[in-house]
Amino acid sequence: MAFTRHPLLRHLFLASLWRRPLATALTLLAMTLGVALGLAVQLIHATALDEFGRGLRLLGGEADLQVVGARAGFDDDWYLWLAQRPEVAVASPLLEIEARLPGQDRTLRIIGLDLFRVGAITPALLPRVDRTDDADPARTDAPHPNRDPDATASSDQAAAPPRTVATDGPDRLAVLRPDALFLSPTAARQITPAPGATIAVQVGLSERHLRYAGSVPGAGVGTALAVMDIGAAQQTFERIGRLTRVDLRLAPGITREAAQALLNAELPAGLRALTPADAASEALGLSRAYRVNLTMLAAIALVTGGFLVFSAQWLSVVRRRQEFALLRALGLDRRFLWRALLAEGATLGLIGGLLGVVLAYLMTALAFRVLGGDLGPGFFRGLAPPLRFEPFLTLLYLGLGICAGIIGAWFPAREAARMCPARALRAGDEAESYRAHPRWRLTSATLLLAAGLCVLPPVQGIPVFGYLAVALLLLGAVLALPGMTGVAMRLLGNGHGLIPRLARARLAAAPGQAVIAGAGVVASVALAVSMVIMVASFRDSLDAWLGTMLPADLYLRASAATASGALDEDAVARVSALPDVVGVRPVRFETVRLDRLPEPVELIARPVSTTSGLPLVAGRITASSRPADPTVATTLTSRSALPPAWISEALADRGELGLGDRLDLPLGEALHGFRIDGIWRDYARQQGAIVIELDDFRAITQDRLTNDLGLFLADGADPEAVMQTVRDTLGERVSEMIRPEALRGMILEVFDRTFLVTYLMQAVAVMIGLFGIGTTFAALATSRRKEFGILRHLGLERRQIGALLATEAALTAGVGVLVGLAAGGAIGIILIEVVNRQSFHWSMDIQIPTGVLAVFALTLIILAALAARLSGREAMRQDAVLAVREDW
Amino acid sequence: MLAIENLAKGFGPMPGEPLFQRVSLQLAPGESVAIMGESGVGKSTLLNCIAGLEPVAQGRIRLAGVDLTRLAEDDLAQLRRRQLGFVFQAFHLLPHLTLVQNVALPLWLLGQTEAHAERRARAMLERVGLARRGHDWPRHLSGGEMQRVAIARALVHEPALVLCDEPTGNLDPQRARAVLELLFEGIRASQAIGILVTHSQLAASFADRTLRLTRDGLIPEPD
Amino acid sequence: MLVFTLLFWTGVAAEDFAPVLEGRVLSFPQDTGAHPDHRIEWWYVTGWLTDTSGAERGFQVTFFRVATGIGADNPSRFAPRQLLIAHAAIADPAIGRLLHDARLERALEPLAGAAVARTQAWIRDWDLVLKGPPDGDEGYRTRIAADSFALDLTLTPTIPTVLNGRAGFSQKTPQLTHASYYYSRPQLAVSGQIRVRDRDLEVTGRAWLDHEWSSEIMPDDAQGWDWIGINLHDGGALMAFQMRRDDGTALWSAGTLTDPSGSTQALAPEEVRFRARRHWQSPRTGATYPVSWELDLDGRILRLEPLMDDQELDARPSTGILYWEGAVTLFDEEQEIGRGYLEMTGYGQHARF
Repeated sequence: MAFTRHPLLRHLFLASLWRRPLATALTLLAMTLGVALGLAVQLIHATALDEFGRGLRLLGGEADLQVVGARAGFDDDWYLWLAQRPEVAVASPLLEIEARLPGQDRTLRIIGLDLFRVGAITPALLPRVDRTDDADPARTDAPHPNRDPDATASSDQAAAPPRTVATDGPDRLAVLRPDALFLSPTAARQITPAPGATIAVQVGLSERHLRYAGSVPGAGVGTALAVMDIGAAQQTFERIGRLTRVDLRLAPGITREAAQALLNAELPAGLRALTPADAASEALGLSRAYRVNLTMLAAIALVTGGFLVFSAQWLSVVRRRQEFALLRALGLDRRFLWRALLAEGATLGLIGGLLGVVLAYLMTALAFRVLGGDLGPGFFRGLAPPLRFEPFLTLLYLGLGICAGIIGAWFPAREAARMCPARALRAGDEAESYRAHPRWRLTSATLLLAAGLCVLPPVQGIPVFGYLAVALLLLGAVLALPGMTGVAMRLLGNGHGLIPRLARARLAAAPGQAVIAGAGVVASVALAVSMVIMVASFRDSLDAWLGTMLPADLYLRASAATASGALDEDAVARVSALPDVVGVRPVRFETVRLDRLPEPVELIARPVSTTSGLPLVAGRITASSRPADPTVATTLTSRSALPPAWISEALADRGELGLGDRLDLPLGEALHGFRIDGIWRDYARQQGAIVIELDDFRAITQDRLTNDLGLFLADGADPEAVMQTVRDTLGERVSEMIRPEALRGMILEVFDRTFLVTYLMQAVAVMIGLFGIGTTFAALATSRRKEFGILRHLGLERRQIGALLATEAALTAGVGVLVGLAAGGAIGIILIEVVNRQSFHWSMDIQIPTGVLAVFALTLIILAALAARLSGREAMRQDAVLAVREDW
Repeated sequence: MLAIENLAKGFGPMPGEPLFQRVSLQLAPGESVAIMGESGVGKSTLLNCIAGLEPVAQGRIRLAGVDLTRLAEDDLAQLRRRQLGFVFQAFHLLPHLTLVQNVALPLWLLGQTEAHAERRARAMLERVGLARRGHDWPRHLSGGEMQRVAIARALVHEPALVLCDEPTGNLDPQRARAVLELLFEGIRASQAIGILVTHSQLAASFADRTLRLTRDGLIPEPD
Repeated sequence: MLVFTLLFWTGVAAEDFAPVLEGRVLSFPQDTGAHPDHRIEWWYVTGWLTDTSGAERGFQVTFFRVATGIGADNPSRFAPRQLLIAHAAIADPAIGRLLHDARLERALEPLAGAAVARTQAWIRDWDLVLKGPPDGDEGYRTRIAADSFALDLTLTPTIPTVLNGRAGFSQKTPQLTHASYYYSRPQLAVSGQIRVRDRDLEVTGRAWLDHEWSSEIMPDDAQGWDWIGINLHDGGALMAFQMRRDDGTALWSAGTLTDPSGSTQALAPEEVRFRARRHWQSPRTGATYPVSWELDLDGRILRLEPLMDDQELDARPSTGILYWEGAVTLFDEEQEIGRGYLEMTGYGQHARF
């Protein structure tokens, strides 16, 4: 008879799950949460990545190569150069602009493109004029039943935009009109203008008015963007002669790699030909570390669930010893018993997994509604992805749930299968199962291995070994439990009073009980403590960092640095001339592409030596030694004569750069040498950032614009009043201002939101640990009914039995909490020094919130005692005499 | 045919000393024996050894020609499943199975379908006089009733050998007699071999003969 | 003649562009170049080719220049002030319909443009260029490379430039305002290579080039037109056209008859009559074209027969134009007297919107 349909499996094993509903429910809860959180993180990211990838494909079209530069773009001479290269069949120029919408807290991505060329590479971006009247009725509307294959197969046919220019509308040039803007369906929904209505966009500090002339029907549902003619875009956004991208279709007969190499050899510094895959990985690489970390957090819930399965199953096995012994005596073989007990775990995993999958989809749908496709750090802003069923991920997490159940049931099943039925048939034998030997050697080996793993480098930017070390530390902590229990009981000495002595004796004699009850506590406490330490350290360091990075009293900007607003010199001068403004600190943001890194790096040009400086972790701040004449500097080869640059930790790590190294920055399509004078901590730009003196930047680029302006106010000046004056000076709709306190508050709020998931996991882990103690002691109380019966016979009061249980629980939890605290501290340090360092490349000052942890530990111990006492109630109610008689 | 030859078991009260040795016994189908002896002499252990639940130090146990001492763990389980029935002092009914299900347990182990197993279990319950309580739970039964269910379970799959460990230890004499009658009637009716370990003269009197277990083997108990 | 079709590209008033005035003296070679101040301009080459096996095909290469009136104030090099459109086609009876392709670009040197001073129009590697003294003998070269065909032809004039209408001022309707500057280069001797469906062929033949520019919009009552340019076997040339009303009657017609010596005779509207003889319906678009005509030139009755019926060029997906543009033979009774091209517009769609 098939194993799964065997009546024994159903009536004796799976049915047992329903006979211990509390333990089963808790285990299911942990499994459900673990699967749900893990799957939800993956679903959100998979969908967001998918949508993001679709957007990339949409924007990248069928380009074989894309030539990209820094955010400010590059000279459009390079387009002409590229278009005439023999390797290139079609070149399509693009100017991408993140246009700030004045008076609104949003930007619109506008792509200026050559309508006559874009169709050959990215037909999805073709605009369609919205007709205001219908075509001539005389027109023959016959379809094309058998279109000329010779004509339609032609590439040049495709090069001219179908449907668009050819639209039989009243004005065939509508797409070329300088004010014509075409919105993708999503953008149109977000902005909701009427067709023909004007849309204001901000350029610098001024407003321009574009006309909603039609749609971008091919842009799909998820991507918000707008399209206009490239000539008009250059003019409107004052980017004459600039492009941000050229898409290339290669001539037949040349491979992508060969063309890439040929072009990159001749393209100037800072300009690079990338394959669409490069471009995609550029974007995805940024979010990967975040995604992996969240996934790991979700895995923790699953692991905790596995622990709970372990303790629940162990207790269940202990309780059913006689039953199993009987079955063995009646001829049940070991293999069936073993498989049946694994099946119990698998069933828990399956049910938890199924519930988790349902919950995950609900959570994902909710997250999409509330947060969009973004889990926190803003990688996928602007996406509005639809919820989709992901069969592979769903099955994977369901499988993981089942695995956790099976693994949790593994040891108890082995224990049950090993038991000697003849002995187990006799009563009062369950103490056997609580044997546990101190495993100091294994513990030390595990911990040493964990320590060794911490020094290994990450694998593809993911701290695999760091996570492995965390897992080993957890294992080591659990392994240390029996030994630590023994040590702790010895250290406690001969306690006073009957109850403590009994409790101590019990724990010393059956340290396995502490392992079973305490394993969940150790795991959850260790993880919670490590998270508390990491989050506290991070938050503290972030706060301090913000203080250094935001020294001014007030910050002014025309738009985010990525968007189209900027302050010109005149505006800066007018603002600095305002009364109550005693000083200004202008910042210019730019991106540069370094040869050694695949992604662009943020360049921050601002006064450094004359202001409050940088949150340096290495190096120093010195004044620029650049001579007044910039041409002289570039001819100097002496490193000390180079102007200083300060790089972020991420850049130092990823670019393998150190103090004193020479750093060549491509500015204005030529390389300029800098000397690395310092390394600073940066929590904002994961891909890396470089700070240089604003004067050096301006001398090289002649770029006089300012993105952010820090205002230092006179003592006693009212910031609100100054803000109003600035608004009056520059215009209400075109500038944004914020006080550093508010900004700091906002950033910390985002931080807290990001770690909301973490807090949730902590709460779940601790809850599970507590419930674990509760169920363990409930089960223990049941299985020790006879022992309590004897004690009652010997004259112990019912109350004293309760106290005994509570004391044992408190002692167990105490040991577990202590071990968990130690392990959590160690894991916290690994998270800070290894995991964060390797995935995000940022350091932080370790901060151990001792008070919080002490309260947490005490609470946990008290709660454990309470839980044990409550759950032991049933056992205490039992008629003691009856309990004794049962088997005596 | 059960043939025990020169059986010895370790772990006596003194180190290196056997618990018992030179235990030999031959029983034909339909034959039953009561084994008596002092507490701690290893009566239950002997029973466990015969059931293959505990290893022996020396000797052979042949059941229908098969030497149990040479069988592997899983084969022993198979053998117990097919050939052995057990009656315990503590009944060992599974509290969360109904009476019918408890009796059907050996049939389930043999892989029979639930319906078939239930039919046979019901018939068996009828034989022990509990036909109408098939769907009741063990906790609602008296000790005597519980042991009748246990006897039904021990005989339901028509084993060749029924091992009884102090089956009436928890019962008053009146109930004990009724249970013993049922038990021996069943053993004889199915031509099984019965081995009964007991302190009770009453129980022993139901067996065909009575032996006393000593450290040096089985000796006949004078009537 | 496509000039007027292309006017729907423009959305600005005619007064923004240079007017077409009678009496302006065309001067060459300057006027073979582009006239960016005029709204619309085209160079249009049609002809017959014979390959070494004797197989005959028609071909067409057209470059249009359109001034958009957009971006005059825009310093961007991408400002779409001028657009260039190219149509190219080969009529091969063995295939039974046109192989054709089109390109459309904004003028952006060096990728696409139309030079002033001498004919040079190009979109990427498609071009039409006039060479002449001091760079050697006068002659055109055109290169077209599409997926299904290619052309690389040298076109050498054998007779002088023909000014159509009144010294190059070509009136299109009874109103003088509807006119263009228009000259033709008939009897161009052709030699070069073509590629048709991956077969490279050496060809020779005879071609015709029209160059026309204007700023005017076609009048409301014109539905379309029919035009022919025929190289006569006697060495002369015939150009004739009619503007049609909705009901098919002629709104205006005119022509130019050139004798082998190069002297020309302008044909007045009443001297040019087109009469449809046979119709063909396109299975693709459903449009019905009179593919065979009777031509009445002041009483002399001639007959036009197509190389093949299906020479419809559907460029609506690219440039929005649907027309019939095909190789034709001119007969006098049963005597073949010339070969050239027939263009018919306004049969499938209104020529102007």
